[in-house]
Amino acid sequence: MAIDVKNLVKSFHDGDRVTRVLKGITLSIDDGSFVAIIGRSGAGKSTFMYQMSLLDEPSEGDVIVEGRSTNEMTNAEETKFRLEKFGYVFQDYALVPELTAVENVALPLLMQGLPRERALADARAALTRVNLEAHLAQLPSQLSGGEQQRVSIARAIAHLPKVLFADEPTANLDRESSDGVMHIFGELHDAGQTIIMVTHELEYAHAAERIIRLDDGVVVSDERVPATERKRYPHPGLQAA
Amino acid sequence: MHFLTNIRVGWYLALRQVRRASVWTNTLIVFVMLLTFLNLVVVTGVLVGLVQGITNLYREQETGDVLISTLANQTDISHSPDIISFVKSLPQVTDLSARYVVGGTIEANYQTPPAPGETPNESAASIVGVDPATENAFSHISAFVGEGQYLSAGDYDAVLVGPQLIDRYSFGGDLLPNISALHNVYPGTKVRITVGTTTRVMTVKGILVTTANSPLASKVIMPENELRTLLGRNDYAVNQIAVNVAPGTDTTAFANLLRASGIGADAKVQTAQEAIPAGVAEVEGTFASIGNAIGSIGLVVAAVTIFIVIFINAITRRKFIGILKGIGISGEAIELAYVFQSLMYALVGSAIGLAIVYGFLVPYFGAHPIKLPISDAVIVAPVSGTALRVLLLVVTTAIAGYVPARLIVRKNTLDSILGRN
Ligand SMILES: Nc1ncnc2c1ncn2[C@@H]1O[C@H](COP(=O)(O)OP(=O)(O)O)[C@@H](O)[C@H]1O
Ligand SMILES: [Mg+2]
Repeated sequence: MAIDVKNLVKSFHDGDRVTRVLKGITLSIDDGSFVAIIGRSGAGKSTFMYQMSLLDEPSEGDVIVEGRSTNEMTNAEETKFRLEKFGYVFQDYALVPELTAVENVALPLLMQGLPRERALADARAALTRVNLEAHLAQLPSQLSGGEQQRVSIARAIAHLPKVLFADEPTANLDRESSDGVMHIFGELHDAGQTIIMVTHELEYAHAAERIIRLDDGVVVSDERVPATERKRYPHPGLQAA
Repeated sequence: MHFLTNIRVGWYLALRQVRRASVWTNTLIVFVMLLTFLNLVVVTGVLVGLVQGITNLYREQETGDVLISTLANQTDISHSPDIISFVKSLPQVTDLSARYVVGGTIEANYQTPPAPGETPNESAASIVGVDPATENAFSHISAFVGEGQYLSAGDYDAVLVGPQLIDRYSFGGDLLPNISALHNVYPGTKVRITVGTTTRVMTVKGILVTTANSPLASKVIMPENELRTLLGRNDYAVNQIAVNVAPGTDTTAFANLLRASGIGADAKVQTAQEAIPAGVAEVEGTFASIGNAIGSIGLVVAAVTIFIVIFINAITRRKFIGILKGIGISGEAIELAYVFQSLMYALVGSAIGLAIVYGFLVPYFGAHPIKLPISDAVIVAPVSGTALRVLLLVVTTAIAGYVPARLIVRKNTLDSILGRN
């Protein structure tokens, strides 16, 4: 699904003070592309992603998804859109502690009205894609940080979303787990998944095919990554071997 | 459809949250619910039971299920023998006792004249004449003979005396109107019984030992032929006919039947409930109110407990509640998850409470009433009242779970995810 961002402005009001965080961003994200958004801390990367992913309302401008202006969507429509069309991976994995891996992944599927057996089957399939088929019945507390993040990726992709949003998905992970996450993103992209990923690590940005650099709320560069420079992360199991 | 999905997801979350919560947390909350339930049901039940104990005493020892008694403007029940044989012939009737009842006095220590300024050792009493065997079959009164022996049909000059009339048993006896307790009265002691203008010396055969509120407490009882002699009554007109009916009989309908049969013209027909002194019913109402007041406090405590538990649970999970909302789980489903959790606690607490109340407390105290000076208390927990209390607890808990969940869930999704206010 293509996303068109038109003259996007986001400002925050704190009493009389107005902070303009996004100062007019216009760009398009192509269907099936893997885009990295980079920039210094405080540049506005997360804010930008929240506007694109319908987690927040822009102050000015518009975000157009599937040809529809999101300014014209009701809250309920936005929630439904997030549930059915988008997938989210946050810096915090935010898994429900009392649900097992497979139950956590099945939850949004149940919310979409899938029968229980079908939801659990899809959840198992998603966990298999992130190489967690051996940990289906484990609680989050029994999993490592990297494994928990992979569960949250499985939760984000189980319903085959049009767009996968990831905000610093590797920020809390060690090197090896981070590489594992990037390997999964690479595979998902190969399978046609649209991915928009915020990161402050240039190396991981090179897993994407396009890098957008933000600074102080404006796009300062927007470049394709030449195929030769694109970094592939091997299956962590293969790397170890 | 959307609503059903919310319920489904809410239930899915709630069930697992409770199942995988720490055993201690679950035990503690269920325990609070249990105590609240017991507080709601048992406190009122004991208080009402206390009064019910008195009511039961009146029914068992005096009124029976239906009491036929003398009309206000009459001295006795006209056509008594006809009424008795008619009532006995009715299929519902299991038991019947006819009694002669008159006001009189009983005097002890009459051989030694009172010192100057002292009043005779004399008390007002209700003088009752019964057929000893029939009365015992009806009210099991012989079980209450604490000293001496029960009456038998051929007894001459023998009486039973109630405990309020005897100084060593009298429970605040001297404070009661018309009662002044007798000294030195034991089985074998001679007492003077006066009815109207007739006085007769009789011998105490037994002393009844009952609770203060027993209708037997201030009675003097003798075989009916003795009282009839004392009264000089030649006909067989009695003052009271107490009737027991088979269990399950509608006593109100039965009383109406008796009235309609013509007995109403000669006597007053009342169910046990109607015949019991008005004060008892009032006290019952007061005690029930006190029980409900205490119960309400318990309910507030339960509500606050659940509120705090859910509030803390939700606020510490605010971030991932935000994320769940972010990924499209509806706020309603998350709120329902907390409501269902609260309901589970309330229902499990109530279920254990029900088992304790009906499986143990009610049958146990029914068989072994709590012996209190004013009555033998049982626990009164009618199913309808208990159901209402369970409902009250469940509704309160559901609200107490919903409110804090709502407070947290309705916060802006992104603010929750980012931990902003
Ligand atoms: N709700 C808010 N109110 C005020 N300022 C905000 C708010 N949210 C973000 N900001 C500011 O916007 C800027 C960009 O934030 P953010 O998008 O989180 O940056 P990044 O993700 O690139 O590190 C920061 O300076 C931040 O302080
Ligand atoms: Mg950020």
